[in-house]
Amino acid sequence: MYIVRRRIRPVCRAGSGKTMKNRRAQKATEKTAMLKIESVLRTPVKKIIAFGEGMRNFYRFVESIAVSFRSIKYLRFRSIYSIVVNQTRFTGVDALPIIVSIALLLGATTIIQATKNFPKFGIEGFIGNLLVIIIARELGPLATAMIVVSRSGSAIAAEIATQKQNREILSLELMGIDTKLYIVFPRILASILAIFSLIIIFDITAFFGGYLISLSTVYIPAGVFVQTMLDAFSFSDLAITILKSVLYGILIPLICCYYGFMPQSDFQIPIFVSRAVVRTLVILFVINAFISALFYF
Amino acid sequence: MNREELLRVESVCFTDAGGAACRDVSFSMARGENLVIFGPEGSGAEVVCPLIAGTVISFDGEIFFKGRSVESYDYFERHTYRKELGYLQRNYGLINNMSAEENIELPLRYHSRLSSGEIGSLVNRLIGELGLDHCRALRPVSLSGSETLRTAYCRAIALDPDLLLIEHALEGQCLLNSQQFMRALGRWCAREDRSVVIVTYEPERFVDFSDRFIMLYEGGIVFSGSRDDFLARRNEYLDQYMRSSLDGPMRVR
Repeated sequence: MYIVRRRIRPVCRAGSGKTMKNRRAQKATEKTAMLKIESVLRTPVKKIIAFGEGMRNFYRFVESIAVSFRSIKYLRFRSIYSIVVNQTRFTGVDALPIIVSIALLLGATTIIQATKNFPKFGIEGFIGNLLVIIIARELGPLATAMIVVSRSGSAIAAEIATQKQNREILSLELMGIDTKLYIVFPRILASILAIFSLIIIFDITAFFGGYLISLSTVYIPAGVFVQTMLDAFSFSDLAITILKSVLYGILIPLICCYYGFMPQSDFQIPIFVSRAVVRTLVILFVINAFISALFYF
Repeated sequence: MNREELLRVESVCFTDAGGAACRDVSFSMARGENLVIFGPEGSGAEVVCPLIAGTVISFDGEIFFKGRSVESYDYFERHTYRKELGYLQRNYGLINNMSAEENIELPLRYHSRLSSGEIGSLVNRLIGELGLDHCRALRPVSLSGSETLRTAYCRAIALDPDLLLIEHALEGQCLLNSQQFMRALGRWCAREDRSVVIVTYEPERFVDFSDRFIMLYEGGIVFSGSRDDFLARRNEYLDQYMRSSLDGPMRVR
C-alpha cells in the first residue's frame, strides 16, 4: 500500500492541484449517491422477488400436502386421535377464558357506543342490526381468529420447528409415517372445530354479556334487544360464519405449519415463529375483507 | 444353504450437505446376515443408512431391497417400504410430547391392523424384555441415556422389520447400562430371518453378533471381510483404526 501511494502522489501533484481534488471528491459523492439510489431501488425489487419466491414455496408446500391427502384412506384415525383431541383442547377449550373476556369487553363497548350515539341520529331501533353487522359478521370471526393465531398458531409453528430440529420429524419419516398427513391434517381438523365453536361462543357472549354490562350505563329492555337482533340476523350470516371458520381453520394451521417446517437451525426458530404469526394475521385480514366484499358489497 | 438376497448396494456415489460422501460403495447382504459398517469421522459411513432408508432421493448407483431399486419408489411406496425397515437413529428421535410407551406404540398404531388390545400386549412384551416397565409413562426428557436407547430400539423393532438399521446407537452410552440393549440386539441378530446393518465407531462391540465388517475411509471401502478377517487385522487401515493410532495410511483431520 505504501509503495502505491508514493507512486500516485507525484502524478496528482503534477495535475491541477485543488481542481483535481474537487473533481475526485465530486466523483466520489456522485458514486455514493448512485449506490444509495441503487440500494434504495434494489430493496423493493429484492422484496418483490422474495415475496414471489415465498409464494412459490408455499404453493409447493400446499401441493405436497394435497399429494399426501391422496393416501388419507390408509390413515388410521386412532393414530391421530390424540393429536386432534389435544389440539382441539388447546386451541378451543383453553382459549375460552380469553375469548369470553374479549367478547364481553367488545360487546359492551359496541352496545354502549350504540345506545349513546344512535338516539342522536334517531336510529336507536337498529342496535340489533349493528351488533349483527359489527360482531357476528366481522369482529367475532376476526377477533377469534386473531386470538387463535397468537395462541395456537405460534405454538404450532414453534412445536413443529423444535420437532424438526430435534430430528423428530425425520424419525417419523423413517418410520414410514407421512408427516404432512400426520402433522398437518389433525391440526386442520382440530382448528376448524375449535374456531367454529369459538366464533359461536364469542358472538353469544358478546351479544348477551355485552348487553348485561351495558345495563350499568343504559337501559334497553331485554325483549327489545333480543327481538331487534333476531330480526337483523339472517341465514346468510350463519353460512358466512361457517365459511369463515372453515377458511380460517384451514389457513391458520397450514401457514403456521409451513413456517414451522422452514427453520434450518435452532436460531431461526423465533424468526419463523414470528413470521408465521404476522403473515397469518395479514392473510386473515385480507381474507376477511375479501369475503365481506364478496358477500355484502 | 442359499439365502435370499435382502439388500444390494451397487456403486453408490453420494455427497451430503455436510460433506460426508460415499464413493463407489458396493456390498450386498442376504436375509439373516448382519453387517457392521465403520470408519473414522467423515468416512462416509454416516450416509449409508439414510441412503438405504430412502431419505436421499437422488444419488449415483443403485440400492436394491428385495430385488427392487429404492430409487424407483414413488412417494407412497417409499413410506410403505420404510415399514419393512427399523431405523435406530444416532440421536434416537423420540417424540418429546409422547411417553415412552406411546413412542413404542406409534408405528403400530399408524401402520398395523392390530387391535388396541393386541398393540397393548405387544408393547408390554417389548417393554418387559427391555426392562422399561418403570419408565413407560415418562416423557423422553425424563429418561436416562440407556432408557432412551432402549425405548428407541423397541420402537424400531415394533413392526418386526426385515432389516434393522442402527446408526451410532452406543455413542455416549454407559457401557454397563447399555448391556440390556446389547443383549436384546444379540437376540435379534441371532434370528435367521432378520438382518441388521450397524453403523458405528466401535465395531469391536458388535463382534459377537456380526457376520461381516466393512470399513470406509474417505468415502470408499478399504476393508471388507468376515469376523475372522476383522479379528485378524491384516488390513493396514483396519489395524490403524483399531489401534486408534495416528500413524498409518489414514490421515486424521
